Amino acid sequence: MNNPVLEIRALRAGYGPRTVLENISIALAAGEWFVLLGPNGCGKSTLLDCVVSRLVPSGGEILIAGHSLRQAPFEAKRHLGYGCAPDVLPALLTARQCLEVHAAAKGLSVIGDDLLMLADELRFTAYFDAFVDMLSLGTRQKLAVLLALVGDPPLIVLDEAFNGLDPASALILKRHLRVRIERRGGALLLATHSLDIVEHYADRAAVLIDGTLKHVWPKDELQRLRAAPGDFEAALAEAISTSAL
Amino acid sequence: MSAPRLAAARLIRLNRRSRAGLKRTGAVLLSLSVLIALFWAEATAAPPLKWLRVHGLLCAGLAAVASAVLIARRRALKRAEFARSWLAAVPVRASTVRWESLLIETFPAIAAVGLLAIVSISYVLVLAITRSSDIFAPFAVWATLSGGIAAGAVGSFLVPQPKPVDLPPGSRYVPHPRLQRAANFRPSLSALGNWPIRQAFAWAQPKIISRAIIPILLGMPLGTTADAAMVAIALSATIGALLLVCSAVVSASRSARRWLAPLPVRPDAVIRAFLLPACAVIVAAGTLEALLLLVFNVSYRTSAEVGGCTAALGCLTASVVVVWNWSLRTRP
Repeated sequence: MNNPVLEIRALRAGYGPRTVLENISIALAAGEWFVLLGPNGCGKSTLLDCVVSRLVPSGGEILIAGHSLRQAPFEAKRHLGYGCAPDVLPALLTARQCLEVHAAAKGLSVIGDDLLMLADELRFTAYFDAFVDMLSLGTRQKLAVLLALVGDPPLIVLDEAFNGLDPASALILKRHLRVRIERRGGALLLATHSLDIVEHYADRAAVLIDGTLKHVWPKDELQRLRAAPGDFEAALAEAISTSAL
Repeated sequence: MSAPRLAAARLIRLNRRSRAGLKRTGAVLLSLSVLIALFWAEATAAPPLKWLRVHGLLCAGLAAVASAVLIARRRALKRAEFARSWLAAVPVRASTVRWESLLIETFPAIAAVGLLAIVSISYVLVLAITRSSDIFAPFAVWATLSGGIAAGAVGSFLVPQPKPVDLPPGSRYVPHPRLQRAANFRPSLSALGNWPIRQAFAWAQPKIISRAIIPILLGMPLGTTADAAMVAIALSATIGALLLVCSAVVSASRSARRWLAPLPVRPDAVIRAFLLPACAVIVAAGTLEALLLLVFNVSYRTSAEVGGCTAALGCLTASVVVVWNWSLRTRP
């Protein structure tokens, strides 16, 4: 793969003496939507925390757009957009201030029109001047995703980003992300339990079990699964169960 | 599970203790150090003990008022919390709910009486070993204070039920920013500077302030003029605001670290954005403190020294905390 947007090499991470992830290697190419699946507690969020430098791995290497997260964190993070969990957002800042802080951190002088248009499509514009602690879970989730998209980063990392969103907003967001990564030539790493995303949007998917990657579905295999007669979700769920065994 | 709230509270306490690594040997060592400290302070503790005995009624009255106010407040708060808690839908007998609530709501009073009892027994032991006269004086003080606390706890149930606490979001008490045009964005880190100030506003709710003023008023000697009382309240408010802003800086900088970790932000820029407004508020509070001391006929020099020291200490504490947090963040 030439110049991957994200490259994870032999990653090892955990909390104190407990190892959660062992020997994880993934590379995301430009224009690729990569979905991380797996049962609860398998290490999906830990992996994302390592990628966004909220957790320091005990071994391995993470490169974002060719920059090592360990050796050149500033450069690596300039190419990263992360949709944090809604409870991490600052309760006493307004949505507008959160966006301004993110934009300033990325060295922007303005916020892109495409982001404001997405906010409008998601019916978020009315909440720009509301304090975060007054927003509902779904509205906070929208803000977290908008923050991830500030500065049009090549790598977008989202953790269960569609939780709490109403179906219409979720659909708008999925379509927007698909168009954005193709237009931008970026990549999206999403941890989720929604198999419909794998069915309709993902280019590749992987299942993580007990901290190791058990199976990666390449693009052609996913296409074969989609084309096969029968229930895609059932087939994928069965494949995950088989991987778990 | 017969008493789920108590069981959950116990388990949380046990988990906290094991996470903090506290062991029985630690508790024994702590008790021994308290005893040694009592030996050391035996001579110096005698006059305050005598004062407490002479003014037993006053102390008991103050303890009763404090206990009644705190428990009434705690009762309203705990009931509001329970209504929203994860245990709200657990089936529990009405009688269990009653005694469980009673224990939870009066816990601070029970803990205070217990703590006073431990200190009194330890002190009596020390007095017995050193063969001092009137070794039962600590028990008398304990009985007076405990009586006051117990009377206050009972009194809190006799006074009208406080209004239910609605646990509002913190931003209700924060000055709201001016509404702007939807597309009017000015990327800047300056909002980080507002965060600790807003946090201080969110904590300093009107109810809490009004309750904090009561002990200040009660602590004033008879014959105090209204002017002096106003200045004393203003001084206490200034010191309270300083403490709140310092605590808010600690809390907000910790939360900011979690939120901003994935961003390519320079630590020095964040530290500057955080500290400038907070330090400005701390310096203003120090200046106000000096002015209020002047009103109290304290000399110019002493007022300036106290105000300056307070401001310097506040700024130093806030700076150390923020720098520490952000230097931790940049470690590999």
